Amino acid sequence: MSKIVILGAGISGHVAAAHLRRKLSKEHEVVVVSPNSNYQWIPSNIWVGIGRMKSKEILFPLEPLYKKKGIGYKQAKVKTFYPEGDKETKKPFVNIEYVMGEQKGVTEKVTYDYLINATGPKLAFDMTEGLNPGTNKAYSVCTYSHAEHAWEALNDLIQQMKAGKKAKILIGTGHAKSTCQGAAFEYILNVEQELRRHNVRDKAEIVWIANEPKLGDFGMDGMLMSYGSNIMKSSEMVEMVFEDRGIKWIIGAGVNKIEDGIAYYENLDGEYLSETYDFAMLIPAFSGHGFKAFDKEEKDITDKLFKGFMIVDADYTPKPYEEWSVQDWPETYQNPAYKNIFAPGIAFAPPHAISKPRVSKNGTAISPAPPRTGMPSGITAKLVADNIIDTINGKKELHHKGSMGNMGAACIASAGYGMTKGSGISITTFPIVPDYKKYPDTQGRQLSKTFGEIGLAGHWLKMALHYAFLYKAKMKPFWWLIPE
Amino acid sequence: MTQRISKSKRFFMMNPIIQFFKFIWLSLKILVIVAGGHGGTRNSTTP
Repeated sequence: MSKIVILGAGISGHVAAAHLRRKLSKEHEVVVVSPNSNYQWIPSNIWVGIGRMKSKEILFPLEPLYKKKGIGYKQAKVKTFYPEGDKETKKPFVNIEYVMGEQKGVTEKVTYDYLINATGPKLAFDMTEGLNPGTNKAYSVCTYSHAEHAWEALNDLIQQMKAGKKAKILIGTGHAKSTCQGAAFEYILNVEQELRRHNVRDKAEIVWIANEPKLGDFGMDGMLMSYGSNIMKSSEMVEMVFEDRGIKWIIGAGVNKIEDGIAYYENLDGEYLSETYDFAMLIPAFSGHGFKAFDKEEKDITDKLFKGFMIVDADYTPKPYEEWSVQDWPETYQNPAYKNIFAPGIAFAPPHAISKPRVSKNGTAISPAPPRTGMPSGITAKLVADNIIDTINGKKELHHKGSMGNMGAACIASAGYGMTKGSGISITTFPIVPDYKKYPDTQGRQLSKTFGEIGLAGHWLKMALHYAFLYKAKMKPFWWLIPE
Repeated sequence: MTQRISKSKRFFMMNPIIQFFKFIWLSLKILVIVAGGHGGTRNSTTP
């Protein structure tokens, strides 16, 4: 009998728990530890942030589902890792602290045979002075509650614009090393469309601000893609959309301070500038959670497990951009020091960025961190679950592999909500991490699998994914037929 | 605001009938790309 403990119940943790429970017999125990009581389909937060969806449409409570499916659940946060146990407990364990109910504040040792760290990122608002969702007129759509607050503020501004107020809206990244530009990109297009729907578009100046060196970088070094019968760069596609929608842009901008209605930033030319706004939605930096790890003698071994995020089978040797390769990226997401610990999704430490690193003339690093959200999170969680199942069944090697250098991803970016007026920008890319050796003439990507499409179908597709993935997450009949 | 998308292209992008077929085509293409497999890179034939 084996006990698998999963830390986190986001896309990655939930996918791993669901597959493990379905494929393992009941003699094996699957336990999820998460401080969140709800599962949320994060990609639809965008629509909560424009008031076109309610939070309850994108979330459901975890406990009843896990109870029904035979998955253990502890609403708690992990504090420390003991991968060798300690003097009292021979088995490896994690220390957790309950966050709700009668047990709130109570700590517990949770032993395991296999551990999946799917804790995702810490939303590091504190890394940018003054950036705190709901203060200084700056908001976030990173969680459903953040998105609700963003909509309340945006709706208030729309009402003021209806009364004649001119307003400036600033959307993008709130730190020099932020990632997840795609979410901000979706939000700015949705906000623009909502302003048109409310007949106040002419009252608003909309500005994109991002740490990307070029539009359409998305933390993936941009893309060369098929677009209809043409081949175009992602920067050209985004520029086309922004110009067509009357959206201005500031790029290469590392936002470093927020005051009431003012964003201060440094650009790649080393200039210190500021931008005023009446409403801002800025994606924060993502960081590790600052977990500590100890060996059985209580000696600090954090550096064996963590490098900000969790260390896995990547090549972390520091090397210049010109020497980066897809082989640096992990394949099994297994910690090299403790083979029974895995970290799929955002929880693993990437070997380096994907976009070319850039520094300002003052030496400040301003470039996007690599994205690992959404589809890669689900795929890597499933392969980790499959490898654990194989190991439990006696296989010696990990056969399931999924490097982001040999994995495709689809980004269906909503560009406006509505069954007939909506729009979406569907971008697929293969591989996620460009392989410049394998595809030297197409900027590291396979053109037949890297393409962009704009139109109403994209909105329908995003809606279809919303319902399909919530169906899958609720583990309804034949959920496992829906791919990650 | 600069018109960068022509009227005919915009009609194509927003026509529900055309887009219905585009939806089917996109769904299948994305399914093939994303569910079409993934793997390692270290033992691949990458030169």
